[in-house]
Amino acid sequence: MSKNPISNPFGKRSTWAGMLLVFVAAVTLEATSLVQYYYSRKGLEEEASNRAVSQIEATHNKIMDIIDQAEAAVRNSVWIAQWSLAHPDSLHRVCERIVGDNPVIVGSTVALVPGYDKEHPFFAPYCCREADTLTTLSLATQEYDYPSQEWFVKPIECGQGYWSEPYIDTGGGEILMTTYSVPITDPKGQTAAVLTGDISLEWLTGIMGNIKIYPHATGLMISREGKWMMNHNMKLATDEIIIDVVEQIREQDDFKKLERAMLSGESGNILISYKNMKRYVYYAPVERTGWSMCIIIPHEDIFGRVRKINLVVTLMQLLGLAMLILILRSIVRGQNKYRALNERKRMMENELHIASNIQMSMVPKVFPPYPDRNDLDMAADIVPAKEIGGDMYDYFMRDNKLFFCIGDVSGKGIPAALVMAVTRSIFRTVASHEDSPAAIVTAMNNSLSDMNENSMFVTFFCGILDMATGHIRYCNAGHNPPMILTDSIKAMPVKPNLPLGIAMGMTFEEQETDMQYDDALFLYTDGLSEAENIDHEQFGMERIEAALHGHKKSELHLKNMQKEVEKFVGKAPQSDDLTMLFIHYLGEGRQPAANHRLTLANEVGEISKLSEFVENIGEEYNLDSSLLAGINLAMEEAVTNVILYAYPEDTVGHVEICADKQGNALTFVVADKGKPFDPTLAPPVDITLGVEERRIGGLGIHLVRTIMDSVKYSRDNDMNILTLTKNI
Amino acid sequence: MEVKIEREPNLVTVFFIGRLDTPAAQEISKDVEALKQDAAGTIVLDCTELSYISSSGLRLFLYLRKAAGEKGGKVIVKSISDEIRTVFMMTGFLNLFEIQ
Repeated sequence: MSKNPISNPFGKRSTWAGMLLVFVAAVTLEATSLVQYYYSRKGLEEEASNRAVSQIEATHNKIMDIIDQAEAAVRNSVWIAQWSLAHPDSLHRVCERIVGDNPVIVGSTVALVPGYDKEHPFFAPYCCREADTLTTLSLATQEYDYPSQEWFVKPIECGQGYWSEPYIDTGGGEILMTTYSVPITDPKGQTAAVLTGDISLEWLTGIMGNIKIYPHATGLMISREGKWMMNHNMKLATDEIIIDVVEQIREQDDFKKLERAMLSGESGNILISYKNMKRYVYYAPVERTGWSMCIIIPHEDIFGRVRKINLVVTLMQLLGLAMLILILRSIVRGQNKYRALNERKRMMENELHIASNIQMSMVPKVFPPYPDRNDLDMAADIVPAKEIGGDMYDYFMRDNKLFFCIGDVSGKGIPAALVMAVTRSIFRTVASHEDSPAAIVTAMNNSLSDMNENSMFVTFFCGILDMATGHIRYCNAGHNPPMILTDSIKAMPVKPNLPLGIAMGMTFEEQETDMQYDDALFLYTDGLSEAENIDHEQFGMERIEAALHGHKKSELHLKNMQKEVEKFVGKAPQSDDLTMLFIHYLGEGRQPAANHRLTLANEVGEISKLSEFVENIGEEYNLDSSLLAGINLAMEEAVTNVILYAYPEDTVGHVEICADKQGNALTFVVADKGKPFDPTLAPPVDITLGVEERRIGGLGIHLVRTIMDSVKYSRDNDMNILTLTKNI
Repeated sequence: MEVKIEREPNLVTVFFIGRLDTPAAQEISKDVEALKQDAAGTIVLDCTELSYISSSGLRLFLYLRKAAGEKGGKVIVKSISDEIRTVFMMTGFLNLFEIQ
């Protein structure tokens, strides 16, 4: 058997459907995680913002605390400085007091406006703390040129307290410093001097460097001039990123935007990208000083966690999808397997279908089978319960004789079909040279028994119809008796016998009967009589008989029977093969061209039909009652003779009676196929004899001869033909 | 076909009602043949209501007549129709029976 590659469009379609399913699942999952990611991000962003803002606030408060302390220390000494203006030599005390009393202040000066004091055109005593020791110096040196310093110029310019730009104090310990300076006016309202307090910004870089709200968060401060406040060597020990930020990012547009925003005293946040690193920067101004502070948080610090979670979620989704694909693949494989099974089943069904066609071609199916003959009308049908079955029928014409048979193999399906095929060929072979149904059946039985290893048997009925005479010889082997349709409808009397294939060497008895013009035989298998409806009722003989009424043509009979069975069975499944064969005889047979005809079985009870028949004829020809009584009697005697004596006991036989009137002569023909008997040869009865001498028998024939005007006998074609004529 | 049998001492009357054709004759043959025991007396075969008789019926009549002949009794056939009288005539039965 060739193997077909299994690839049908249905398979591909289902694979595509699977792929689509996976795709949709993936999209849904991804969308879900995207939404989740989006909201997580938003939440984290808000949280980062909140944390940064509150950190800025806290830091701002800390700065303001120190700024306040420093401003207060300087302001509180303003009045002393004013008071000391008249005595410049005591001004250093003011400085010493400020530094000594305020730990925040690391240095202080009172610098006179040049030329204010005639004695001291340049005068600026300066006190600073170094390792808890106060040292007083003078800033009025040539190199320093204090009147040009920012801390001196600006407060005078604006007439109020001023915080200087941070600077590196080179004179002291090279620390980052800023100076708060206020102008001092003398009682006349003239600006006389500037009082300052220096504070170290080392603490500030400490505070900023300790903003650890995220692992890599850093705080930065920018002066009003745009100077980033860091420790003296411009390095933050904490984080090298900041160096990048300050030294390299500076040129970035984003960063310039940030600087601008911060320098103009705004607060807010900005996202800066640099070298594939994103950073959130939150910024806010520091009051009074003109500074601005910011907190830089690497993007990764904020979203790293959610990214990790998202990565894990995505990996799990991918795992889920992979499993889905595996499951789908195994389903598709299962389907393929199922499809392969289906394919095999389909091929088997296909082969069965071919087998069915072969089997059906074994039985003759063309009707009418002999279109040239007008003496035969046949119809047959075979409906297997499964694709193929064990029922069969066959017929063929040889020597103007119709050989026909019907059979039913035990069982159903392929085994039955094989036996059926064998049975049919044996029938054809045997019947091609045998002329007796019994011989055919006997030979078939021997053949089938010989090779019957599976104990299959065949119920079989075989008949030979002589088309010229209507005579049928038949032999039954365990099959249902066929129905014979004459004036009445009856089951054919059959000897049951055993089915074929059971016992070798069995003899089968032959039977015979006659068919008249328009008589019919109906052969069927038990698939008809035992057809069941859903209530498991069987179709049965009564229904078969009822369905046989009222039709003549075989085809109509067949269709009617099929309709009846279908109606009866309804939705119940067909349980057995169903075969029907109608043989409608339209031959002349023994048929005289008679106006009146009657066929009686060889039973005494049939006599009443005869008297009815004769009465009808009498009525038709207006015979007077005494004449009719005589004819009646003569006919009864003639026919009774045949019924009682023509056929051997237990043999079915018939007697046909025809009546015809030619002129004054009313002629009756009594015909039978019994043993040859010529009543005209019977010795006459001597009616003059006395009681003792009279014989009991012989009166019937005597009456016939006495009543009828002419009694003639002939033996023709194996038939006794008695012709009785009465002149009327 | 119906048969009624009435018995009096030394006299049996058999009423035949209907058609005595072959099947009817077979039907009643046992009853009629049983009358052989009465054949020593008089057997009256009442045919008033017998409409038809065939040879099978005639055989039963002849059977009784022969029995009566043997036993010394007699058989009387009573009230036969014209048709049956014709049959009796054709078969010579008119000579064998006392017809009343």
